[in-house]
Amino acid sequence: MVARTPTRGRGGGGGFRGGRGDGGGRGGRGGFGGRGGDSAMKRGGGRSGGRGGRGGRGGMKGGSKVVVEPHRHEGVFIAKGKEDALCTKNMVPGEAVYNEKRISVQNEDGTKVEYRVWNPFRSKLAAAILGGVDDIWIKPGARVLYLGAASGTTVSHVSDLVGPNGVVYAVEFSHRSGRDLVNMAKKRTNVIPIIEDARHPAKYRMLVGMVDVIFSDVAQPDQARILALNASYFLKAGGHFVISIKANCIDSTVPAEAVFAQEVKKLQADQFKPSEQVTLEPFERDHACVVGAYRVPKKQKAAA
Amino acid sequence: MSSIRNAVPRKAHKERAQPNSRKKFGILEKHKDYVQRARAYHQKEQTIQKLKEKAAFRNPDEFYFKMIKTKTVDGVHKQESQANKYTKEELMLMKTQDIGYISQKAQAEKKKIEKLTASLHFRCNSSNKHVYYAEDREEARQIKLKILEKGKSPAVEDLPNDIKRKIAASYKELEDRKSRVKELDNIYADMTLQKELQKKGRKRKLREDEIVNPTSRPVYKWRAERKP
Repeated sequence: MVARTPTRGRGGGGGFRGGRGDGGGRGGRGGFGGRGGDSAMKRGGGRSGGRGGRGGRGGMKGGSKVVVEPHRHEGVFIAKGKEDALCTKNMVPGEAVYNEKRISVQNEDGTKVEYRVWNPFRSKLAAAILGGVDDIWIKPGARVLYLGAASGTTVSHVSDLVGPNGVVYAVEFSHRSGRDLVNMAKKRTNVIPIIEDARHPAKYRMLVGMVDVIFSDVAQPDQARILALNASYFLKAGGHFVISIKANCIDSTVPAEAVFAQEVKKLQADQFKPSEQVTLEPFERDHACVVGAYRVPKKQKAAA
Repeated sequence: MSSIRNAVPRKAHKERAQPNSRKKFGILEKHKDYVQRARAYHQKEQTIQKLKEKAAFRNPDEFYFKMIKTKTVDGVHKQESQANKYTKEELMLMKTQDIGYISQKAQAEKKKIEKLTASLHFRCNSSNKHVYYAEDREEARQIKLKILEKGKSPAVEDLPNDIKRKIAASYKELEDRKSRVKELDNIYADMTLQKELQKKGRKRKLREDEIVNPTSRPVYKWRAERKP
C-alpha cells in the first residue's frame, strides 16, 4: 500500500487568452482566464499556459509519501513516512477521536484507506504492544469487554482493531468522561458504551454477551477482584484477559515489581492463568501489562 | 524605416584595449572611468576643505548643555555614560520579561516534542521488562526456545530511500528539540536564580561542604524571615 499525493486539479485550463489583436493594440494582458472561484484550490500554478495536455499532478515530486505495513498483531499497522508510528485502520474515515494524526493511503486500485496514529503515551494497550507483548488477543472479529474506558481514546482504537464484525463493550463509571465515550460510540457501531460501575457487573449483565477478551484499565486497588467478577459473568472459558496495573494505585509504599507480583498472585487465585507481563517503561512509569487466559482446561498428564 | 536600418549589417566597432607594453597598469582607463575617479577625488577634497574652514572659524565660546556630561578626549568625542540608564525597578521588569520569553519558548518546544513523540514510537530506548509465566519446567523451556527464535529473526527493512530519510529526519528533529528544551530549561533556572538574588532578603552562598545534594552549581540559602 502506497500513499500518493492527491492529484490536484489544474485550474480549469487557464489558457493564454490574450494574443495580438490585428488592430495593433495588444489585447488585454493574456491573463489566466477561467480560474473558477474554487476556494479549496489554492494554487492553480502560474505557468498553466501551454501545458494543456498534461492533467496530472503538478509540481510536487510524485511517489510514495507513507508506507503502511501490517504489524505482528492482526489489525495493527505501522506507518512509515514523516512519522514512524503504530496505527489502526480508521473505521470512520475522516474523523479523529482525540485529535490524533490521520494518515490517508491510496491502494493500487485507487481506493483510499485511512489510518489513525495510536499514541502510546495515551494508551496502555499501545504501550504494551510497543513493549513487545507476545499476544494481545484483541483481533478482528473479537468480542471485547473494556473496563475503565475513560473518554474512549483507546476504545476507539480497539474498535478499529476488532472491525465491523467484533464488538467492544466499554464500561466507564464517570459521567463526565462517559459523555465523550458515548459521543465516540455514536459514530462507531461496534462500540457499546456502558456508564456503570465495573464493580457491579450484575447491573449491566443484560447488555453484555459472552466475550473473548477482557481488557481492564481501572486503576483501582481492587482491580484484580473487579476483573475476576466481570470474567465470571462474561468471559468465556479459555478466553483471555489483558490488565494494566498501575503500581501507585495499589500500593505506593512498596516497589513496583512487588506490586505486580502480588497482583499476579491474586489473579492466579481467581482462575486466571497469566502468561506474560511487560512493563510500559518509556511511556508510563511503574505500569505493567499482564496478559493471560481464563479457566484454561488442565493439561493431560498422561500425554507426557 | 528604422527596422530596415537594423536589418542591414553594420560595421562592428572595436574598443581600444590597453597596449601590451602598458599591461602592468591594469586595464585601459576610459573617459567615463576617469570621470568617476575625478568626481570621487574632488568630493573628498571639498569635504576636507569644508572641515578645515569650520575649524578655522570655530567660536571658542560656543556652548551646548550636552557638553556638561560629554567631553572630548584627545580630540575624540566621548559619549555620555550609559551605566545607570535604567532604574533598578526597570531592570527587574526587563529581567522578568526575559524570563517570561524563555519560559514561553521552552513551553512551545515542549508542545512540539509532545506532538512529535505522538507519532514517533519506535526508536525510544525501551528499558522495559518482559516476564513470562510458566507452569512447569517443560513450558519454561518451550518459552525460552520461542524467545530465542524471535530474537534471531531480524526485522529486514526494505523501505524506499526517501522514506528512510524522512524517518531519520523526524527522529533527528525530535532529538534536536529535546536538547533545545534542556538548554532552555537550564537558562530559565539560571535567570530565575539571578532574579531572586537581586531581590531583598539576607542570603549567603553555601560552602561546598554544606550542600546536601552535590551539584556543580552555586547554592544559596536565605535567612528565614517573618512576613509582616
